[in-house]
Amino acid sequence: MNSLVQKYSKSSTAHDDDVLGVHGKWDASLDLAFPTFDIPGAQNPLSFLRNVTDEASSDYKIKIQHGTTTLAFKFQGGIIVAVDSRATMGNYIGSQTVKKVIEINPYLLGTMAGGAADCSYWERELGRRCRLYELTNKERISVAAASKLLANLVLPYKGMGLSMGTMVTGWDKSGPNLYYVDSDGSRIKGDLFSVGSGSTFAYGVLDSGYRNDLTVEEALELGKRSIFHAAHRDAMSGGSVNLYHIHEEGWTYHGNHDVAALFWEYQDLKAEERAAAVGKQ
Amino acid sequence: MNFLDSPLSKPAPYVVAPIEHRFDPYEDNGGTSVAIAGEDFCVVASDTRQSNGYMINSRYAPKAYKMSSTAVLSCNGFHADGVTLKKVLEQRMKMYKYSHDKDMSVTALAQMLSNTLYQRRFFPYYAFCLLGGVDADGKGAVYCYDSVGSFERENYRTSGSASALIQPFLDNQVGRKNQQNASTAPLTLEAVLRITKDAFTSATERDIHTGDNLQIFVITRDGVEEQNFPLKKD
Amino acid sequence: MAPQQVKPVGGFSFENYTRNAVLETKGAKPPKATSTGTTIVGVIYDKGVCLGADTRATEGPIVADKNCEKIHYLAPNLYCCGAGTAADTEFTTNSISSQLELHRLSTGRKTRVVTAMTLLKQMLFRYQGHIGAALVLGGYDINGPQLYTIYPHGSTDKLPYVTMGSGSLAAMSVFESKWRPNLTREEAIAIVSEAIEAGIFNDLGSGSNVDVCVIEENSTDYLRNHVRPNERGIKEQSYRYPRGTTAILKESIRNFVDVVEGDAMDMS
Repeated sequence: MNSLVQKYSKSSTAHDDDVLGVHGKWDASLDLAFPTFDIPGAQNPLSFLRNVTDEASSDYKIKIQHGTTTLAFKFQGGIIVAVDSRATMGNYIGSQTVKKVIEINPYLLGTMAGGAADCSYWERELGRRCRLYELTNKERISVAAASKLLANLVLPYKGMGLSMGTMVTGWDKSGPNLYYVDSDGSRIKGDLFSVGSGSTFAYGVLDSGYRNDLTVEEALELGKRSIFHAAHRDAMSGGSVNLYHIHEEGWTYHGNHDVAALFWEYQDLKAEERAAAVGKQ
Repeated sequence: MNFLDSPLSKPAPYVVAPIEHRFDPYEDNGGTSVAIAGEDFCVVASDTRQSNGYMINSRYAPKAYKMSSTAVLSCNGFHADGVTLKKVLEQRMKMYKYSHDKDMSVTALAQMLSNTLYQRRFFPYYAFCLLGGVDADGKGAVYCYDSVGSFERENYRTSGSASALIQPFLDNQVGRKNQQNASTAPLTLEAVLRITKDAFTSATERDIHTGDNLQIFVITRDGVEEQNFPLKKD
Repeated sequence: MAPQQVKPVGGFSFENYTRNAVLETKGAKPPKATSTGTTIVGVIYDKGVCLGADTRATEGPIVADKNCEKIHYLAPNLYCCGAGTAADTEFTTNSISSQLELHRLSTGRKTRVVTAMTLLKQMLFRYQGHIGAALVLGGYDINGPQLYTIYPHGSTDKLPYVTMGSGSLAAMSVFESKWRPNLTREEAIAIVSEAIEAGIFNDLGSGSNVDVCVIEENSTDYLRNHVRPNERGIKEQSYRYPRGTTAILKESIRNFVDVVEGDAMDMS
């Protein structure tokens, strides 16, 4: 523990040889883009942080936005990424308009589940590093390398309270790729993932409708419908559905679909189907 | 004399003292803020009451700060953390000015605020921020944050002790949520000010931590204008 | 065997106590009672006693009632201000009030202040502070004007001027700087109002209006909303919705009466 603290904290008393040098040579790209982290001077910084950020704690003051249902799956036409847009802070809906798909670059997408700040901060940092990789190697980074970069970025902070469950997806030389990366250190390659508190609901719809030979339209509809049902049954998910399709030319955005509007749309479809079934008899 | 040779730079002599095991550096100072973006303006409003429990610390302790000619920041939560955050941001804005020879835009400031908050991921600022201003295109902008730097650009937002009371009102009146056949025309500055004042007088009725005075900043391309209005003091 | 019928008896029911204690150990949060962060005061003057209270009731940081009544009736010559758990002050004073009524019917005498005070303190002491009622009791009997404070655990004070509740310090600061013996009725009402206003403005748990109750040998005046220093201002605009704003999700019209076309009435 103490080694962790020593590693990441900047001491206010210990000074470098050039104590005032920072004022002359301050560089935003070094000092702001990748900061060192301040650590509380408490007996046990970890339990301190847990105490003030845990929703079940009596000292719960620092409300952190949490993200919720996300999914991504591979199929013959590439990869579909679908997410909801609700952020909750305790029992309060912090926002209904969160962008949970982070556009790392035109060929890479990251999703957001867990702590909203953790996901957006580290995936932004990932974007910066992917760009640096491109500049040094004169070619785009592979999804495997990018996801490993992210996993390695957060791994040193394991056990310190970061909360991040993300899917890194994109199209590279080897074709479509999908990885699940989280703050516990997992990095899993796969064809189909759903992450977040509403993931069980999403899996239910997704698994029953999933085939590899779906058309792009069918796949987009399946992703949208899965998120819709998760948003409908899970109180922590909601707002609207954001849809993305990844293909050889990078990703394409397929719109923002309000969950309340989708509800009526699906109700009408159901009524039509029922009417058609009665007509057949 | 070199700073390192001065006695101030030496650590104080170590004194044996009992170690305090309970580390409780946060306090809730209440208060509420509202920010609404218009077509070519932005309104940031905060009450000025600072309280702790049932006590009023101050009836005029502003928690919204003018950061530049195009940006106003308001910090709810723990007043001391808000003041510190504002100070750190001002330092970094100066650094930016010295290295780039231009003022920071709200957009840049918004990202920097996020990074500044995230730097304290393991010892968060107990500050829920709203950043309002006009962007490089002259459009009104509102950015809202959680305590560790997750942020989003929105059109209207409230945070603080009465946020759960005011947000539904803004959703309805500014976002026109749950209203059929409502006009979608952008709100005028006058309409935004009326809605803001009504939000605060109503929140003052029901939230004990909100009251005393209302400070409103109107940010346009031409700069920041400040207005003050009395609120109920009970 | 037929299930045993429990004959209803008065008093508190503890049947869920064990269950709730177990639930609490499992992390369930017990419901919060409305606690009246309050300013209540009383003062004795030459010919009577004057009680005062604010009118705000809170639930945590939210104002639950902007104009509630905190001065409770005990007897025609006895009133009692309550602070603490709203339900406890209400039911304790109600229960004692009916006991005093029965006592008057059997003795045929005017109730004495000590009688009410003793009944209240004995009840509160019996429940060891679990009934969260902090009271200011004032009245007039054959011994003249009297004023008591009763704490939730059952202890009492008998003083010429008293304050209670979360605003008690603010109110007491007024009494300590302005009170003197042998106030007149008008002076007493003024000092009580000022003390309550100090609580209203400086204590967040207290607010809205000032209620005053003046009890003298042959009169009791309950001055509801004696001072109203916190009128709500006029709103900037109207929020009336035009017709058709609320979405109609479905419509179903049913005829409960069959209207049969009848013959035209003979108007000749």
